[in-house]
Amino acid sequence: MFQNFRLSMAWLHTWFGLVLGFVLMAVFFFGALSVFDREIDRWAIPESRFEPQPMPSFDTLLKPVFEGMQPSKESIDFARDKVNGPMPERFDTIVTWGAYTTHRDPVLTIFAGYEVPNAKEPDVTVWGNRTIDPRTGVAFPDDQLKIGSGFFYPLHYSLHFHWANLGYWIVGFASLVMLAALVSGVVMHRKIFRELFTFRPKKSTQRSTLDLHNLTGVVALPFHFFFAFTGLVIFAGIYFPVSHTQMKPLHDQHEVIEAQETGLPHDRAGVPAPIASVDAMVVEAQRRWAERGMGGDVGFLTLRHVGDTNGYVSIYRAGTDRIALTGQGIHFKASTGEVLREDLPPTAVESINEFLTGLHLQHFRHWMLRWLYVLGGLAGCVCIATGFIFFVEKRKRQYAKEGSQNGRIVDALAVTTVTGMLLATLGILIANRLLPASLPFGWPGRGDLEEYFFWGTWVVAMAHAFLRSAPVVQGEINPAWREQCLALAVLAPVTVILNWVTTGDHLLKTLGEGYWPVAGLDLSILVGGVLALIAARHLRRREQGAPVQGATDFAGAGVQHG
Amino acid sequence: MVNLLLAAATLLCVLGCAWLALAMDVHWKQVRTDQPSESTAKVLRLLGSLSLFASLVLCLFTDHASMASLVWVMLLAAATLIVAFTFSWRPRLFSVLIFWAKAAS
Repeated sequence: MFQNFRLSMAWLHTWFGLVLGFVLMAVFFFGALSVFDREIDRWAIPESRFEPQPMPSFDTLLKPVFEGMQPSKESIDFARDKVNGPMPERFDTIVTWGAYTTHRDPVLTIFAGYEVPNAKEPDVTVWGNRTIDPRTGVAFPDDQLKIGSGFFYPLHYSLHFHWANLGYWIVGFASLVMLAALVSGVVMHRKIFRELFTFRPKKSTQRSTLDLHNLTGVVALPFHFFFAFTGLVIFAGIYFPVSHTQMKPLHDQHEVIEAQETGLPHDRAGVPAPIASVDAMVVEAQRRWAERGMGGDVGFLTLRHVGDTNGYVSIYRAGTDRIALTGQGIHFKASTGEVLREDLPPTAVESINEFLTGLHLQHFRHWMLRWLYVLGGLAGCVCIATGFIFFVEKRKRQYAKEGSQNGRIVDALAVTTVTGMLLATLGILIANRLLPASLPFGWPGRGDLEEYFFWGTWVVAMAHAFLRSAPVVQGEINPAWREQCLALAVLAPVTVILNWVTTGDHLLKTLGEGYWPVAGLDLSILVGGVLALIAARHLRRREQGAPVQGATDFAGAGVQHG
Repeated sequence: MVNLLLAAATLLCVLGCAWLALAMDVHWKQVRTDQPSESTAKVLRLLGSLSLFASLVLCLFTDHASMASLVWVMLLAAATLIVAFTFSWRPRLFSVLIFWAKAAS
């Protein structure tokens, strides 16, 4: 089909990269934002702007909160057709209680799972979730959207496209293509080391765009490769769901045998029993960690078979000083507090798996590495965006001669996924600050409205990009690039000012107090705005026919917006 | 202390990348009008490699090995970008790194 290997790689790189690049752009950008998801949550929920808290006392604070919980309406509705007969009014058999926190969380996320009577399958569980202030136990309103961890982060791996889990599959396929694009890109490049440090902004747009594409692709190659790969590892259970399809009987039997081996009961005994002091178990767990030279806080606390004599409590350490996530679990008998089991040190395979998933999910305490991850993610965005621009730039004369609309479509989609995506990001933050705390009866929830604003802004940006795309047919630049950069330059300071007006937290105050979650986001938005303004000026000069210098900057400026 | 060590690791990483780049003719010529001699290029490559290695050692000194290796790989990416963009816009800044070096005769 092709004359040589390199040409076939070029074909693969170009066309797969083009089609899935639009998905990867969103995956990279919202992945980069997810590095600071908890901080974005603080910005979006001003009542939660206080210092991170350790796991609170279970006996005095968490237990009463858990006892007051019930499954959510959505969860009950979801399970309705998995049950014979009507759903009960109250759910009393508690499968599990859990509380999870990290060193960056002021608020505490807790969940409770309940057994469903008359379920068609024994493991049908309905769930309730709550976010509480760990100092008081008071719950935050349910309709507040955690924009970082509850919206940007799931967008990163599911695109919020939940029908038949299709979002996960699209992102998974895009990651696979990403791996192929990296390998084929390396094959095409030829001068990886000779041109490692090369970016020539004063050359033609096509040349300098390709320089930037190569530079950002190569310097962050290990990052791109490992993140695409570990992303696939994390969701391997979704992509190869053997344990819940062909091998389900084996999987279920394995669970039973594992329970026998570990001594942690798989099922309830049916004999009620009280819960001993969990706080005392936490103290014991911390003592045992300290013995191993790993002092530290509790990251994950969970109770199984609550209220039953088979009930047990598992306490996991927060993995802030390691790449691996929570670990070193210690399990106690809930009714007596006796230690049932200490997790063995991980095997080599488990260690590798923990390292790979931990590397991607990053719950560690290392601010510099966090920022370096943001840099890696944004480098990926620049790489993809310059790929689009190069695609159009390379073909524009030919398209102009043929009167083809192809370049116009690709370019408009590039505008949509670069500046349009940034506008949508500012859109949801602005909506978050402008919407009133309580909405009239019959309206959607506040969080839902914020999401509508996000998608609405993006659709408007897309329409604008297509409407203004006519000049591309003549091989000229789409003015939507400049106009959307200008919109970003205006909206960025507006976002920061709205935060000030509605919460009183202006930059001088947050910087003075050293409250970085809010100060950091405000500053990043402002820096993004300035870069967008510089990009808009470069684009104007270029539209007026001045030398093409800086024509590639806009991609860089655009995606550095965060 | 930790911050200081990481700052030093970052600086060494940038220096290492810059020296490795300066060992290449094309980048040397962005800084000076002459050409590096064979031996100078060798010294530059050695300096560059040593700096990068020292940077790795500092990272390992600061964090658990699993974390340190990630920090170092990502630092390399950041340093390469810094060096590449400096060559694009302010290449002469690097002349201090080779003030001692002799050109090819």
